[in-house]
Amino acid sequence: MHEFPIWQLGPLDIDISSFIAITVSVIITFVLAKLAVRNLSVDNPSKLQNFLEWVVDFVHNFISSTMPINRVKPFLTLGLTLIMFIFISNLLGLPFGVVMETHHAQESIGITEELLAKKGGHVEIAFWKSPTADLSVTAGLALIVFVIVHFLGLRLNTKHYLKHYFKPYPIFFPVNVIETISKPLTLALRLFANIFAGEVLIATILMLGWIGTPFLIAWQGFSLFVGGIQAFLFTILTMVYISQAAIHEEEH
Amino acid sequence: MELLAAALAVGLGAVGAGVGNGMIVSKTVEGIARQPELQGKLQTTMFIGVGIVEVVPIIGVVIGFLAFFQA
Repeated sequence: MHEFPIWQLGPLDIDISSFIAITVSVIITFVLAKLAVRNLSVDNPSKLQNFLEWVVDFVHNFISSTMPINRVKPFLTLGLTLIMFIFISNLLGLPFGVVMETHHAQESIGITEELLAKKGGHVEIAFWKSPTADLSVTAGLALIVFVIVHFLGLRLNTKHYLKHYFKPYPIFFPVNVIETISKPLTLALRLFANIFAGEVLIATILMLGWIGTPFLIAWQGFSLFVGGIQAFLFTILTMVYISQAAIHEEEH
Repeated sequence: MELLAAALAVGLGAVGAGVGNGMIVSKTVEGIARQPELQGKLQTTMFIGVGIVEVVPIIGVVIGFLAFFQA
């Protein structure tokens, strides 16, 4: 199993591979968006512009399935950013890995003598992985969603939002609080566990050598599918939570 | 002992995920058979349902990995 290079900076543990991966993912997403809007044209769209128009349409459609269509517009960019960033992040760990082997202790990145002894004198350090295979990254995304949902609920829908903690009966208050805490928690854990398990399985299949090639092909295909589904699921659950907290005044 | 823990975590989680997903997809297929024009919406709802049901078994898999690689 690979270790990750962890850099101690005061009280913080900074995972260098996560930082590199997040930066690369951000740059790729931004460049993709920028390239697609160069030379915008209605009659003769480029392939990338066509593709991104399809993505915008897709996101708009599934947001409108959760909230009335005249309220969709402000949340379109949030949905687009989430789905593109998470999808590209999920795919980053699949094509290749960067592994450094060491037989000496490297204190600066957290490989101590005890770790070396526990692993039999030979430690492999992975410098590349999907950013979403790190619980800190997915927890950060879930925290953003949590803040957005409750801020919007308080701002746009104050009375109903505060009252819904006591529906249907006031005795349900602890259950509603647990529901409120469990939503971002499961959001973070779902994304992390899916992508992390996929990466561990890739490392395990690689240990088989060349016999594992058909398994690896099949598993890479499945990982692609899972990455897409998890990105879609994160985004649509965000929209459902936003519509539950901030929009449901119209149906009452 | 850790190997047994990992095996139990993954195995029981797999049973839960299999039964749950089977029920979701079978109801979706039934719904599509009754009203073929709703296939798009039903399929989308099915994927959302599968995502929600699979959270806890997948967390079980991660716990299994943790136990396995500590052994």
